[in-house]
Amino acid sequence: MAAETVSKGFGLGRPGSRGSLGVIWSVFRARIKIITRYKGAVLLESIIPVVFAGLPILLGSAVAGSEQAAAANFFSYTGTTCPSALPSDCATLFRLYMLMGSNTFMIVSLMLWLIGYWVRREQETGTLEALYLAPAKRLYILAGVTSYTLVRSLLAFVTATVLGSIVFQVNPLSGLFGAAIAYLVLGIPALWGISFFFGALVMRIKEANSVIQLLQWVLAFAMGVYFPVTVFPLLLRWTAMAFPPTLMNDAIRSTLLGITSIYGPWYVVLGLMLMAAWTVPLLGYQFFGLVERRVRRDQGVGQF
Amino acid sequence: MNDAVVNRGFGLARLDLRQRFETFATMARKTLLEYSRYPIAFAALFAQIFLIILLFVLTTVAFAGGDPVRISTFAGAMAYGFVVNIILSFTLWEIGFSIREEQVRGTLESLYLSPANKFSNLVSRIFAVLSITIVMCLGGLALVSAVAGGLPAHNVGKGLLALLLTTSGFLGLGFIFAGVTIKLKETAQLLVNGLQFFFMIFSAMFFPFSALRNVSPAIVDYISAMLPVSYCVDLFRSTLLGTPPELAPWNVEWVIVLAFGLLSPLIGYLVYDRIERKARMEGSLGEY
Repeated sequence: MAAETVSKGFGLGRPGSRGSLGVIWSVFRARIKIITRYKGAVLLESIIPVVFAGLPILLGSAVAGSEQAAAANFFSYTGTTCPSALPSDCATLFRLYMLMGSNTFMIVSLMLWLIGYWVRREQETGTLEALYLAPAKRLYILAGVTSYTLVRSLLAFVTATVLGSIVFQVNPLSGLFGAAIAYLVLGIPALWGISFFFGALVMRIKEANSVIQLLQWVLAFAMGVYFPVTVFPLLLRWTAMAFPPTLMNDAIRSTLLGITSIYGPWYVVLGLMLMAAWTVPLLGYQFFGLVERRVRRDQGVGQF
Repeated sequence: MNDAVVNRGFGLARLDLRQRFETFATMARKTLLEYSRYPIAFAALFAQIFLIILLFVLTTVAFAGGDPVRISTFAGAMAYGFVVNIILSFTLWEIGFSIREEQVRGTLESLYLSPANKFSNLVSRIFAVLSITIVMCLGGLALVSAVAGGLPAHNVGKGLLALLLTTSGFLGLGFIFAGVTIKLKETAQLLVNGLQFFFMIFSAMFFPFSALRNVSPAIVDYISAMLPVSYCVDLFRSTLLGTPPELAPWNVEWVIVLAFGLLSPLIGYLVYDRIERKARMEGSLGEY
């Protein structure tokens, strides 16, 4: 028996690369199997972004008197230049702006929500401790769960984009859609990193429901779902801009709508996104490991 | 010992008004005690209410083109609509969700074998949470009002009366959903979620009804006007803003909201009682 393996509590288990991939696949498949039992939940999370985008559009029309006036006021207040001189085009861009903001928000929110709830559910059902005793590294289990959250979020994103395009009569393919999707994909590793931070937080403080609900709205604020973060006071603006989902949201919007990014030219945005994709997951996983060790030492992961 | 009582399996238990009140008080205290174990949840709820109102107020500012009167009126319309929205959400969620929790824990059947009054039991599940939420909403509104430079608040007394009747009406919806939860189990949560969004849009909770009318007058005439919840939102909002209601004249709105506030809990409880009785007869009350 390898001493190293024994000391890690793996007994005779020696997970090789094939075994590790098997862990990722098993976790992924299990989560997918569970969610397919609740088809309505999947449908609902595709409708929610459309409702979220509809709220400011309706509110804006009522406040400004018409949708075109709402778009004009919005672009003027936020310091964003509408790329078209036609008011009707600006109104369409305004609708697309809200739709893409809501869709991106849904991706970020779902990824955090699903990881948080996964940790909490495992704690409550008493299976989190069992996972720690299994001959599988936590990284692979987390990779399985995050892959599942990614698939579910992207599915919601695509469905919401199609639905929203029909409801709001906008064409997301009219802009640089491929580049926007590339930014979305590039933003995913950073979201993984943040979800590790979030998972650690839930493991530590346990009250997942209230924390998730609160953080959702903090997220909506920080990401600039309904308006760019440039309207915030300086300190708050810089804090929000340092938040990777804000960068992702801005990159997708500016690429798709042809408006100027709040971060600068496209290569600055790309550079920042690459940096976030590299550093945030590493920091997130380190943080998760640190909190996990502390929880295990203090009270054990099974307590909830 | 009273034969009638023995027949119904209540043993020596008293079934008078005092017992009903004691059941309510004890269970409401138990709910409060449970909540007090999670102080972060309280803080998070308050912060969440504040953030949601602020988010929509800032969005209103972005559309208003710098007109302070317009900002104040529409921010008020949105903020007051949000208060109704959060009360509806909590009423729909809390009663059904706590019944579901009892099902999952396996304590629902035992609770229903006890001589505790069912009505008191149901109301107690929401009373504490709703009281806290209303206090937090008032705090959140005051804070946002300070940040946004003042929200209009006319006829506060009448506004509170409208809110009281609205809350009572929502209790009826909560009872119905508690029954639906017993029947549909996990799927009921989805239904509640869907309904929340339905009311959010068609009862114009975050914007005036004129916005829906701009999209299509048929939405207001054939959907919004058919929902008592819409009149609750409109009456509460118009009373506090001091503007004429959008759906119907004042007296008509008051009559509708009054009828909703008085009849809805009774009808809701009857529906709940029927579903619960059926579940007991089928033996599915404790199933989850």
